[in-house]
Amino acid sequence: MTTKEEVLEKLSNAVLKYKRNDAIAAANESLTIGVNPIDAINEGLVKGMSIIGDRYAVHQIYLPQVLTAASAMYGGLDVLLPKIPKEELSDAKTAVTCVVEGDVHDIGKNIVKTMLTAGGFVVNDLGKDVAPEEIAETMENNKVDYLCMSTLMTPTMDNMKKTIDILKEDGYRGNCTVTIGGPPTSPAFAKEIGADHRDSNAQNAVGWLKTGKD
Amino acid sequence: MVKEMTHIERAQAALKGEKVDRLTCYPIACGVCRRLIGDGKMTYRDWSEDPKKFAESFLAGQQHYGFDFAIGLMDLSVMAGDMGAHVRMDEQNTPFVDKHIVNCMEDYDKLTVPDITKGRTDVLIKGTELIAKKLNDKVVTSAFVEGPLLALSQTAGAERLFMDMFTDPTPIHRALKVTTEYDAEIIKAMGKTGIEAICWDYLWGNYACLGDDEYGEFEGNEYAPKLNKMVQDNGMAVAVHNCADLPHLKTQIGKFKPAIYSMAYYPQIEGSPTATKVIENGYADHCLVAGQIDPQLFMRGTVEQSTEVTKNLCQEVKTALCKRGLKSQYCIASGCEIPPTENCRLENIQAVVDATAEYGKMEY
Repeated sequence: MTTKEEVLEKLSNAVLKYKRNDAIAAANESLTIGVNPIDAINEGLVKGMSIIGDRYAVHQIYLPQVLTAASAMYGGLDVLLPKIPKEELSDAKTAVTCVVEGDVHDIGKNIVKTMLTAGGFVVNDLGKDVAPEEIAETMENNKVDYLCMSTLMTPTMDNMKKTIDILKEDGYRGNCTVTIGGPPTSPAFAKEIGADHRDSNAQNAVGWLKTGKD
Repeated sequence: MVKEMTHIERAQAALKGEKVDRLTCYPIACGVCRRLIGDGKMTYRDWSEDPKKFAESFLAGQQHYGFDFAIGLMDLSVMAGDMGAHVRMDEQNTPFVDKHIVNCMEDYDKLTVPDITKGRTDVLIKGTELIAKKLNDKVVTSAFVEGPLLALSQTAGAERLFMDMFTDPTPIHRALKVTTEYDAEIIKAMGKTGIEAICWDYLWGNYACLGDDEYGEFEGNEYAPKLNKMVQDNGMAVAVHNCADLPHLKTQIGKFKPAIYSMAYYPQIEGSPTATKVIENGYADHCLVAGQIDPQLFMRGTVEQSTEVTKNLCQEVKTALCKRGLKSQYCIASGCEIPPTENCRLENIQAVVDATAEYGKMEY
């Protein structure tokens, strides 16, 4: 019979070898042999994805590989996440990711979403071209801890400010941390609009969200 | 001191690596110049669907600001839209593809070259012809066309395309042959317009996205060189625009050898090349490098800030050129298109042109 260590390695390797079907099979196998799904995620899928993130950061691999590895990780997560008892997720940090209204360029946002998931966050990805009102409503109704907004285009940057303004008006801004990203953004712009942080690197952004330090 | 030159004299001299009275200047002001026409309220759709209006904005921009070049950029959804993808056209902003037409691997084989005498490709070609007619005696002119990988990513969606490139590249190459053929059709048509160059957008030559192997396989080795040669065979010069954060300079300047290379600079991103680095590394020795003012300056900056940024860039460039023995060439430009929005500050464009005239003077 497969041991817990062996199935965790299968999960990690499936991500490292970009094999979505292998990740799904290993996830199912982990449940069959009674591995806690949280362990399967953190010590298997996430371990593999973290290595992928490190390789991307030093330009050993590029977006095609990262996105394919992420697809493998999500294949495994789709199996494992529904099996986690709700009470075990109650302490997990929650995050919303989105590309703001008027922009559909979402690769950067998806990398952040992947790294957040790999970092143990429960992520609600709102997708692209999302209105400020919808972002704020989601944050407030679900009492989300972290907001990660992205845009690639200069004209749509103002929608980041609009979102933060709504959070302020509704009195929720003090309950969440807001980070922004995308090529036209800068730390100065983050400060100007009242965001807490700006990053140009998904790994670093998630590291900052976890520790509050660059 | 070199005697004061006209715009076209200056641009031509810079392209030949000859002495210039001052650095050339071309903030990439394209769609935004429609605001100089009539009551200033022309919609983006009206501008990008009418060759006369499209061309008129470039003439107005040149007359109003005194640019040294005219590069007929429309936007990056022209080819995908004409191939069948849905384009969302906002009234006063850059349009974008909001519904791709590749949803599975089989869909790559359904892509075909559209009729270039229809759609916005036709507007682009006819508009470019008018730009050439109106401006060839005043500035150096160029068309602006999406490269084959960019056109495919706009059609299929970049995320899907990147994963498919990695997992099953064969259909991607078949699709790239289609977008390359589409580009080839455009080159032939542009060659008859009188325009002097084609500026390719080879956006994905970016180390934040693709390594040398991937970029080479999917654009840099075969498709782009074929198109570059075809541009020259049709009597035009090759230019390249790439507003990426980590551009493949070795391939896109060193190998493609364009006459002009337009690029951006991202100070927050480690390794993003400054003007100084680009010149120091010899990339501007045989190519007119254009950049690298942040386009945000035109939306968020003041006239004073625009002047200051331009002054600093001129000084940085002149210092680097001197260290290189003044054999290099540089054009003061924005790193990417000036946003064609209503709240873009037109006075900042003038400030950049004026500051280049004042602080970009060259002494030999």
